[in-house]
Amino acid sequence: MKRTITVRMMKKQENRAGYMFVFPWLFGLIVLGIFPILMSFYISFTNYDMISPMEWIGFENYRILFTNDSLFWKSLGNTVYHVAIAVPLSIFVGLALAFLLNNKVKGMSVYRTLFYLPNVVSVVAMTLLWMWLFQPNFGLVNAILDPLYDLFNIEPLGWYLDQDLSKITLILMGLWTSGGSMVIYLAQMQDIPTTLYESAEIDGAGWWAKTFHITLPLMTPSIYFNFIMGLIGGFQVFTMAYIMTNGGPSRSSYYYAYYLFDKMMADNAMGMASAMAWILLVIVLIVTVIALKLNKFVFYMGEDS
Amino acid sequence: MKKLLAALIVAVAAFAAIACDNESTDRITIDFWHMAPVGTAAYTPTKAIITAFNESQDTYFVKGTGFSFWDYWDKINIAISSRTAPDLGLSTLDDSVSRAEAGVLYNISDFLDADPDGLELDEFYDAALDFATYQNDLYALPFTATVRVLYYNLDMFEEVGLTVADVPTTWSELYDVAKQLDIVDGDGEIQRLGFDPSYGNATYHGWLWEAGLDFFDENLDPTLNTQAHIDVLQWMKDFNAEFTRNQLVAFGDANTLLGINPFAGERVAMMVETDGLYEIIQNANADFTFGVTTIPVPDDNGVRVNWGSGFSIELYDNGDNDTASKAGAWEFLKYMMSYDVQKEMSEVNGWIMAHKRAMSDLATETGDPILARLLVEVEYARDKVYVPYAPSWHGNDWQPYYNNFLSGEMTATEALAAARANYIQKQENYDATH
Repeated sequence: MKRTITVRMMKKQENRAGYMFVFPWLFGLIVLGIFPILMSFYISFTNYDMISPMEWIGFENYRILFTNDSLFWKSLGNTVYHVAIAVPLSIFVGLALAFLLNNKVKGMSVYRTLFYLPNVVSVVAMTLLWMWLFQPNFGLVNAILDPLYDLFNIEPLGWYLDQDLSKITLILMGLWTSGGSMVIYLAQMQDIPTTLYESAEIDGAGWWAKTFHITLPLMTPSIYFNFIMGLIGGFQVFTMAYIMTNGGPSRSSYYYAYYLFDKMMADNAMGMASAMAWILLVIVLIVTVIALKLNKFVFYMGEDS
Repeated sequence: MKKLLAALIVAVAAFAAIACDNESTDRITIDFWHMAPVGTAAYTPTKAIITAFNESQDTYFVKGTGFSFWDYWDKINIAISSRTAPDLGLSTLDDSVSRAEAGVLYNISDFLDADPDGLELDEFYDAALDFATYQNDLYALPFTATVRVLYYNLDMFEEVGLTVADVPTTWSELYDVAKQLDIVDGDGEIQRLGFDPSYGNATYHGWLWEAGLDFFDENLDPTLNTQAHIDVLQWMKDFNAEFTRNQLVAFGDANTLLGINPFAGERVAMMVETDGLYEIIQNANADFTFGVTTIPVPDDNGVRVNWGSGFSIELYDNGDNDTASKAGAWEFLKYMMSYDVQKEMSEVNGWIMAHKRAMSDLATETGDPILARLLVEVEYARDKVYVPYAPSWHGNDWQPYYNNFLSGEMTATEALAAARANYIQKQENYDATH
């Protein structure tokens, strides 16, 4: 008997194949992701210290963090400062690089690769390198700035060893990886139809007019994407401070994720650390939801306005 | 094709047979975690020690697993927490009581009651055993003993006309000798520092102990608010007060740049360090003459004491009531704490082991005067107290205030008051959740 394959059966087969393909990812998400996430939510209501059995303490961890933990607010403040400066600055630098590298100059692909290269370097290696560059007494940065210090008769900057400059130093260091976002900007920049520029030129538009009325508006999707990702990543800043400053001096670079890590590793307070993780999630969620409101300013080419 | 498949199956089977050591199949397997992973110099000798035990009897098979020092603590803590800890492992002695309290360690006193000759407890320091004692029962054993001493560079001493007889014993002598050893060049750059109380492994709590003070009282409430506490902290900073902060920072940075211990790099004439520095100097084939001695004490009523942290060896109770493994772990523990093995472990790792006689015999046999002197100081070593609400009280919790004081951003009074307030807040929060 000849078997008839219906559309419904084909759909079922396709679904089965689809599920099989996503199974490894789903398995990872459920077993390695969802369970620990839910568990950490439960742990945040306990006094779990990794060794003793956990006891339910209700909202005590949350109450303590909000009302009787000065380092919680200090670390949150440091993190907000980092996000507020690092995110717009990295967008600006990424865009500037994309503009620079969107030229038909000989060997451009080499330049592009060079600017992207820091993204494939280990953060630890990069941080150690920058530590030496910013080293106040022997570092290259101060050596270069030395004539300026002499000119204005000022003391050399202490960079990451100065509590007023430590966060800025880490932000400047982080800009080194702007090549990552630059690639995205560049891709979108090259996707802009040249006909738009040609008609603008016919209308007498110069570089500024073309940039502000064509390039930047059409790049808002990638700017927006990098903005959202930067916000989320910015709230999790940790590695550079951990390696370079140990959160200092005077806790000036003690970020939220660093304090969370210390709560877990130094104080063995897994319950408190989990509560911090959930508070961070809520903060990031709120900030992201607010940021999503900016979507109305994003121009998606080809969409009806 | 069939032949090829058969050959493959035979090869895999043979590989599996080799991988699963035949010795372990009919024996009770005992898991032991240590800090000599594959690739380290101590791996092969540690494996040899374990193999010797396995060959000495045919009831138990010890499976040793080595982790690097840096990974070890996370692994063991998570394993204990998930009740998948090895039968036996190393940990830190100062907080073994917390694990005993949590019920994750077997009571060693129970084993000793059943097997009184199993261990020579007299061979271990009482102070170390006290740290492993919870509710009058022993829950861990001191495995190693770290000691802190004053290292002095005799060549530098001779250069300024000093001899061994001039090695300082009090804080004022330390100051007088150190000042003779300082060298500053024409640009005001420090070329050599006689001594600095904040260098190496010299700690504020170590100096406090010498002055008969501490961070916490017997109830583990933070102290730090007395004039005596302020004076000790101020003394640490004033020791090199003739130098500017910039001079000291530049000197310290240059040490970091060199990437070598300042004493081993012959940039500091005297320094408080652990016994580990002796190994570093030996490995670096340093060609200067040096000695070690008791850390100088305050001129009046000084207490001879040094911070002597050490590893413990513990039997983990995973709640599975596995009596066979428990008995095997005890047998292996006795073996590891025996005279011969302790001596061998010291030779292998360069550690000072907890067994007094094994170590003193080793020092005699090798004729090593430095080791002999280090062993004398072990007797005066004291571990730091475990504070449940601030396990890292000497590190994370104290360092920011200490650094603020050293950098001049806070006075001694302000730094101590702020640190104390932080401890009190942590104590309140801990009490509220426990």
